[in-house]
Amino acid sequence: MAIVKLRSTENLDRTKPPKSGKPKDMKFPGFFEAKTSNGITVLVIEDNRLPLVTSRFVFRSGAAEDFFCESKKPGLSSITSELLTKGTINRSATEIANEIDYLGASIGSGCNYDATFVSSYSLKKYFSRVFDIISDVILNPSFSDEEIERVRIQRLNSLLAMTDDGDYLAEKVFIREVYKDFPYELPIDGDEESVKSISRKDILLNYKKIFYPENLIVAFVGDITPDEAISKLNENFAGWENSGLEKTEFPETPSIKSQKVFLIEKKGAVQSSIKTGHLGIHRSHPDYIPVNVMNTLLGGFFTSRINKNLREVNGFTYGARSQFHCCKHSGDFSVMTEVKTDITADTLDEIIKEINDIKNKNVSAEELRDVKNYISGNFPMQLETPNEVATKAIGLKLYELDDDYYSTYLNKVNQLTKEDIRQAAEKYLHPGNLLISIAGDTKALSKSLKKFGDAEVTGDNI
Amino acid sequence: MKSLGLKKVSENLTNDFPAIEYREYILKNGLKVVLCNTGNIPIAAVNTTYHTGSRDEIVGKTGLAHLIEHLMFEGSPNIPRGKFDEILAKNGGESNAYTTRDFTSYFISVPSSHLETAFWLDSDRLSGFGITNESLEIQKDVIIEEKLMYNDNSPYGSLDEEISKRLYDGTNYSWPVIGKMDDIRNMNLKDVEDFYNKHYTPSNTVISVTGDIEYERTIELIEKYYGEIFCSLNETKTEIYPKKITKETSAYIKDDIHLEGKFIFYQIPPAGTKEFYSFKILSGILSSGESSRFFQELEYKNNLVHEADSSAFSYEKSGVFMISAIALKGKDMQIIENKINGIIEDIISGNINDREFNKIINRLETRFSSRLQSIVGLSDRFSYLKTIHNDCSKINFEINDYLVLTKKDISDAAGKYLNQNQRIVLNYIPK
Repeated sequence: MAIVKLRSTENLDRTKPPKSGKPKDMKFPGFFEAKTSNGITVLVIEDNRLPLVTSRFVFRSGAAEDFFCESKKPGLSSITSELLTKGTINRSATEIANEIDYLGASIGSGCNYDATFVSSYSLKKYFSRVFDIISDVILNPSFSDEEIERVRIQRLNSLLAMTDDGDYLAEKVFIREVYKDFPYELPIDGDEESVKSISRKDILLNYKKIFYPENLIVAFVGDITPDEAISKLNENFAGWENSGLEKTEFPETPSIKSQKVFLIEKKGAVQSSIKTGHLGIHRSHPDYIPVNVMNTLLGGFFTSRINKNLREVNGFTYGARSQFHCCKHSGDFSVMTEVKTDITADTLDEIIKEINDIKNKNVSAEELRDVKNYISGNFPMQLETPNEVATKAIGLKLYELDDDYYSTYLNKVNQLTKEDIRQAAEKYLHPGNLLISIAGDTKALSKSLKKFGDAEVTGDNI
Repeated sequence: MKSLGLKKVSENLTNDFPAIEYREYILKNGLKVVLCNTGNIPIAAVNTTYHTGSRDEIVGKTGLAHLIEHLMFEGSPNIPRGKFDEILAKNGGESNAYTTRDFTSYFISVPSSHLETAFWLDSDRLSGFGITNESLEIQKDVIIEEKLMYNDNSPYGSLDEEISKRLYDGTNYSWPVIGKMDDIRNMNLKDVEDFYNKHYTPSNTVISVTGDIEYERTIELIEKYYGEIFCSLNETKTEIYPKKITKETSAYIKDDIHLEGKFIFYQIPPAGTKEFYSFKILSGILSSGESSRFFQELEYKNNLVHEADSSAFSYEKSGVFMISAIALKGKDMQIIENKINGIIEDIISGNINDREFNKIINRLETRFSSRLQSIVGLSDRFSYLKTIHNDCSKINFEINDYLVLTKKDISDAAGKYLNQNQRIVLNYIPK
């Protein structure tokens, strides 16, 4: 029993929570959509509260293309996208940097498995000049040998530096194993062998496969009207032609693997970086919403079961989360945390217990109501800035979701029953098929994790 | 309801900058309040900042301020252990907190219809002490894992600890905010309660509320939940008098890393001074964007570094200018250091061109125009300005502190504070 010391005699009764009003309705903001004659999908999310404009170019293919090269080339798409801003046939890398920086603007590029991104951010008054540069970067990259070598050296050093991070090592092996023989198995940033071998020819072919008008979604965000956006886009992209290359066909989704332990030696580790899970679902899967509400309860936020167990009850960790990471063609489920070496086995036991619990027993009515309130209350927070709205609008197009997906989202969440949650857990959680990937002190872990099966042990040069 | 010190800012800074309107109040128990209605979407953010941090600790009890930050979520007179975040979540809200050397900030975001629940939860922590030994022991374990994760198990993770003890030797800035491992382990409930009683008082607190709020209704609610909390204790501020550095110190630290790192630190005047703004501009010239001097000289033209950066940051009583370089594998750190020294000497000699100076001003304009994006960030900024500078108008006018500066101010500041005998150099080398 806590001994409570109050500071003053107050008239206020603090024992009961105040009554709250009904949350105000928050509709998903409307946005402008059009298609150009050469097939570019255009979105405009107009918001003139601040004098800023973002342009976001999203091409509907990314690092998964690395898998389809004659021999697999992890890192290729990512290096191609990084090189875009490093020089065009009209401007050198330094000229691009000088002008963008002088205008107080920024440009960036990168990719994930499903998409390649190029974006600019600037004050409205400089938008036209910045847009001309980003257009040049997309249409006319030079991929000079000198810039390729520079990016190659930097990338090799990044790969080396990333092996200092246990979470990175655990994730890399987890992804490789969970998606084995599927395009998502390759590390987006690449590996040493592949990065060393990538040639200018590879890059040019990769560029051709990703960068063409029909593959492009452009979102204009902020202080810009649809008319302004369309006219600027036409000025720079109307003459851009489609390459006529066939779209890459994806293989069948991989199957769930049997349980296995992977240990990666992390020099000097005082903690284990744990990532454990199995195959999940793709983003446009019809069960996405029940699966995600179920996951929220399980490990999706601070007061979820896994964090409560591992942090608040046991004091094992600073934090633990679970997630369904859903990409366009497949997805995975995982639990992630960092704990001291000697409590790694206990931690895994608790994780498995929580997964079994949500699979075998209905959640309480109260727990379900609370999580619905949390998701409903938190939803407006995700629509705070026009760029957050744009991320969702782009997602609708990229993952081919229904147009009314976000306007009906909360309704669908609130209609879920205890049975829906249990079914989602029953169908999509497989505690007997966990791939357990841990970076840490492999010598100690090999012993303490014996009961989870034989371990495959590797160094950090994975 | 009484509200003193009402102040409203509505003048536009220039035609280009949208001004942020806000109101300030002081309650009769000394609690300071900043309210800012940003309308838009139906959420509100509450930031409660206590003007106490690790500098108010003593040797042997380091980490106490941060430990209390954890414990403030673990039970108060009317909210049992574990319920704070649960109640908040089922009302659609979220919370978090952080501790610095000088202050501790708690923030909550909720649907604006549930703002009163946020005040009820947050004010209960100020209304009395309700932390148990059980909570204390669990949170000590959690913090030990936090320290292992961020410091011991992270590359270059000991940097803050290694530099603070050298840069602020003999002062309460000399230990890391998270504290020393043994101190955390040995802390008892009385330590926690004494610190709480001394520093968690209304007059030591600023509350900033932003988002979809009505001014009258919100200040009424704050009066209701916080206005009647009185305590007679007076907190005393721990003064900090950093010793001037007059001789270069160099140290080598072995770490589980693959790439060598060099970190150079200088003491500079704190935030709010003309010199500090000068150093902010200097860090832009040195390292912001791919046209910056560091990127061009160290990375692009000479392929020496994987990353090179600089930054000016500040505690309440002292500022820090930091330069960092992570070498590409196999490159000679001495060559990198010589290049950095050359660039700093060039700046000190007054060699700054108009274009690079104006570039940073343009960048500031973009950043300043986007300062109203997140209500959580805005409430945090108001609390910081009120707590550390006692001046919320900086939210609209701080840009002026930059615009008055000249190229000469930058090179003068560098000439005064960035000499080699004024710095501490930490070299991280692979084990």
